[in-house]
Amino acid sequence: MVEKIDMILGGAQGAGLETTTQILSSAFASSGLGVLSDREYYSNIKGRHSYVHAEVSSGTVPRSLNSKIDLLGCMDAETLFTHFLDLKEESYLVYDVSISEKKQEKIKSFEDPLRERLEKKFDELGLEGTIDSIVRFLEEEKNVTIIDLDFPSILAELQDQYEISSSQASRYVSSILIGAVSGLMDLETKSVKQGVNDKFEDKQKIAEQNIFLIENVVKQVKEKVGTPLKMDDPSLEKDKKMMVNGNQVTGMGKIVAGLRFQSYYPITPAADESFFLEENAGESEEENILVFQTEDEIAAITSCIGAALTGTRSATATSGPGFALMVEGLGWAGMNEVPIVITYYQRGGPSTGLPTRGSQEDLTNALFSSHGDFPRIVLASGDHGEAFLDAVESFNLAEKYQTPVIHLLDKYLANFTKTTDIPDLERIKIERGKKAEDTDIKRFADGPISPRISLGDEVIWNTGSEHSPKGHVMEDPENRIKMHEKRMDKLELADKNMEMPERVKYYGPEDPEYLLVGWGSVKGPALDSLESLDERIGYLHLRVFSPFPSEEVLSYLEKADKIISLEHSYSVKISRVIRMETGISIDNEVVKFTGRPMYRDEFIEALKNIIEAGSQREVLRHGP
Amino acid sequence: MAREYGTENWIDWCPGCGNFGIVSSIYRAFSEMELDPEKTVLVSGIGCSGKMPHFVDVSGVHTLHGRAIPFATGIKMSDPDLEVIVNGGDGDLLGIGAGHFVALGRRNLDILVMMHNNRVYGLTKGQASPTLPKDTQTKALTSPNLQSAVPPLSLALSTGYTFVARSFAMDSDHLKEKIKEGMEHEGAAFLDVLQHCVTYNDIHTADFFRDRIVKSEEPEKERSEAFKKIREFRGSEEILTDVLYQDTEEPTFSERLEKKLTGFEERPPAVQNIEEDGKPILDQKEFLSRFDDLIFD
Repeated sequence: MVEKIDMILGGAQGAGLETTTQILSSAFASSGLGVLSDREYYSNIKGRHSYVHAEVSSGTVPRSLNSKIDLLGCMDAETLFTHFLDLKEESYLVYDVSISEKKQEKIKSFEDPLRERLEKKFDELGLEGTIDSIVRFLEEEKNVTIIDLDFPSILAELQDQYEISSSQASRYVSSILIGAVSGLMDLETKSVKQGVNDKFEDKQKIAEQNIFLIENVVKQVKEKVGTPLKMDDPSLEKDKKMMVNGNQVTGMGKIVAGLRFQSYYPITPAADESFFLEENAGESEEENILVFQTEDEIAAITSCIGAALTGTRSATATSGPGFALMVEGLGWAGMNEVPIVITYYQRGGPSTGLPTRGSQEDLTNALFSSHGDFPRIVLASGDHGEAFLDAVESFNLAEKYQTPVIHLLDKYLANFTKTTDIPDLERIKIERGKKAEDTDIKRFADGPISPRISLGDEVIWNTGSEHSPKGHVMEDPENRIKMHEKRMDKLELADKNMEMPERVKYYGPEDPEYLLVGWGSVKGPALDSLESLDERIGYLHLRVFSPFPSEEVLSYLEKADKIISLEHSYSVKISRVIRMETGISIDNEVVKFTGRPMYRDEFIEALKNIIEAGSQREVLRHGP
Repeated sequence: MAREYGTENWIDWCPGCGNFGIVSSIYRAFSEMELDPEKTVLVSGIGCSGKMPHFVDVSGVHTLHGRAIPFATGIKMSDPDLEVIVNGGDGDLLGIGAGHFVALGRRNLDILVMMHNNRVYGLTKGQASPTLPKDTQTKALTSPNLQSAVPPLSLALSTGYTFVARSFAMDSDHLKEKIKEGMEHEGAAFLDVLQHCVTYNDIHTADFFRDRIVKSEEPEKERSEAFKKIREFRGSEEILTDVLYQDTEEPTFSERLEKKLTGFEERPPAVQNIEEDGKPILDQKEFLSRFDDLIFD
C-alpha cells in the first residue's frame, strides 16, 4: 500500500492519451484519491511526443509534482527513451515488449539536442541504445519492476473477440495503459468502467470493447506483479469534489459571475476556456452566454468593450501574443472607464516562443502595457480555487471601479487538472457598482467613480480622446487635470476599499529566516517546500498586483533575513515590481524558463543550494 | 414633429468639407425616421469622419483607428434593439480596419457602415488612402501613388454585405435616402459616400464627382449581376451610384445566433439578469447539475 505516487503516461500526440487521462482521472476521483496532473505537448496536432504527469495521493490533494516518478507507462518507444531516467529506484515500468529491439536512431521526431543527450547518457551507462538495453538497465541497476506487455497480442485478442480490423484495434493502445494502471493500483473495476462509460456515453460498442481490453490487461498485470501500487484508504474528506483544469474552473467562475458575452480569437492555452463556456452557456431566459469567435484579437477586445458598453458583463481570454494586439483597446477601455475582464493565460515568449508551454514572463506586460496612464486592476491566481474566486472577483472589481481588470493565469494552471473543492456559491457576491438613477446625467460626471450608464439607457458619448464629463473631445488643460485625476484616483480608492481578503497571503512561521516570494503557479512547489526543509521558511503569495499592496508586502519582507523570489521567467519580474513598489531589492531567486513546470524535488534542491551553499540564482531545468 | 439631431459642439471640419454634407444628411435621415436618440448609436473610428458622433445628438462611441466595426459588432450583438451606424474613413475601414470590414460582411450583422471616401488621410495631412487610384498625385504627395486602389463596392459584394450602395456627400437628398434605406435594411449594409477633401485632394473635387456621377437603376438581386454592372463602369469616366445590390433573404447574424442560442433575439445578453439580491442566479444545486461530468462523489 502506498500513500502517494507520481506517474508519467506517454505516447504520440493524438493517440488517445487525453481520453486515457480523463478516464483514469475520473476513476481516481471516484475512488476518493487526490490528483494533480499536468499535460505536456508540442505545438502539433498529431505525432509528436506528449505525456501526462500525475501525482495521486490518498492523504492530501497534491499541490506539486515530483520529477522522480514511481510509474512510467509507455505507449511507444519514444516515451521510454524520453523518460526512463525519471524512474526512481524500485519503481514500475509498463511497456510494449514487441518494440524491444527499437533503437533511438529510429525515433524521427526527436529534436537533435535530446538525441545528443540520450547518446551521451547511453555511452555513460554502457547501453546499446535499444529499448531492451534500457529495460535491462532499469531492472538490474535500479530494481525497477518491469511489466512487459505484448501490445500486438493484446490488440489481436480484441480484434478476434469483436471482429474489428487491425487498424481499428490499434486505436486502443492507450487503453492498455488504463488497464496497466488500474491493475497496478488495484483500482475498483466499477470506477474504471464508470469512467469508460461516461467517456463513450453514446458509443456503447466502443465502451464495451475498451472494457474488454482493460479487463484483459488488468488480469495480465495482476498475474505478473500483483497490485504493488495499491493506494492506502483515502483519508480526504468525503465531500463531493471537482476534477477540473484551470481553463474549466476559470470558466466556471465566469459563469457564476454572470458573464454574458465572451469574445475570443483561437490561441493556446486560452481557447479551451471559450470552448468550455460555449458548452456550458446555459439555456434559460436569463442565462444564455454568447461566446463569439472574432477575426482577430483586436476585434476580440473591441467587441468585448462594445458589449460592456451596453451593460453586459463581458470578457475576453487570450495569451501573450493575443494580448499584444489587445493593448490599444485596453487603453480605450481605461480612458472610457469600461468594465471589461481580460483573462490572460501566460505561455512562453517572446513572440511565438513556446506556444504550448507555460511561463510567468508577462507580469510587467500585464501591469504596464499601453501608452499613457489609466487605472487597471491586475489579479493573479496561484491554483484552481483561487482561479475560480478571482474570475468572479474580476467582474465585481471591473464594474465597481469601472475600469479594465486583467486576470493573470498561466499554461500550467490552464492544463493542470486537480481535485478541487466545490465552491460555496452562498458566499459569492455579485457587485455591480452604482448605477445612475437620474436621467440627463453626464457619463463622466462626479469622480472618481461616475454612476454607471449604459448605451440604451441614456444618450451618452464615449471617446478615446481626452473628454469633457459629457464625453465629448476636450483638450482644455484644466479639464485634462480634472479628468485624469478622476480616473487615476480610482486606483487609490480600490487600494483602500478592496475587499479581497487575500491580496497577499503569507504561509509559514511568524518570524521566517527565509522568505520565499512568488505568485501564480509557483504556489504549489513553494508550499510543499515549506514542509520539506528544516529552516524557518515562509512563503509570501501575491494575488493582487494593481493596486499593489505595498505596505502589506513590505511588512512581510522586513521580517525575513533572506528573501528568495520564485518565478517562471528569465528576468524575475516580481523582484522588479517589488523593488519599484517597496524599494526592497531581492537578491536571490529560483527561476525556470523552459516552459516546463517547477518540480517539487528540483525546487527544494535549488532552495538548499541558496540556503546552504550561498547560491544567488538557481535555474531549474527538469522536464524533456 | 421631427427631432433636432444637432449637438452644442462647434463643428471643426475645414470650411467647405464634404463632411458637412454627410452630417446634414444624417440629421435629415434621423429626423425623418424619428429615431429614438437613446436607442441609436453612432460608432466611429479615427480621423475627420471619427468626429461625427460628437455632432449628432444620439449616443456616440468614438473608438480607435480602424476598429469602429468590431466595437459596433459587440454593441449590436449584446443589444440588438439598438440601431447601430458606423461612420469611418476610407483609411479607417479599408486600410487599418480592412479585416473587420470583411468580417462584418461575412456575418451580415444588422449594421449600416458609411464610408467617408475622399481618397486621402485628411487629419494627418493628406497621405494616400486605400481608395486613391494608382499613379495619382494629390497635392500633399511628393510623388504619384504607387499602390492600386481597393474597389470598395466589389469588396463589399464579395464579402457578404447584403446591401451595397454609393452616394455623394453633396447630393443631400440622395444621400439622406440611401442612409435611410441602409438603416432600414436588415443585415450588413455598406454605403460608400464619395466625398471631396477641400484641403488635401485637389484632384477629386466636388465638381469632379458631380460631373461623373450616374445613378444605377433597380438594385440587383444577384451578386454576379452587380459585379457585371461594376465591370461595365471599369475604365469609364462615369461613377456608378445608388443601391447596387440588395439581398433581403440572407439571414442576419441575430437570426443565425438564434439558431445556436435559443431565445437570443428575445433575451439578448444586455437584458439578461445576472443576480438576485447580490447573489449569482446560478445556485448551488444548478452548479452541481451543470458541471455534473466534472464532479465526483
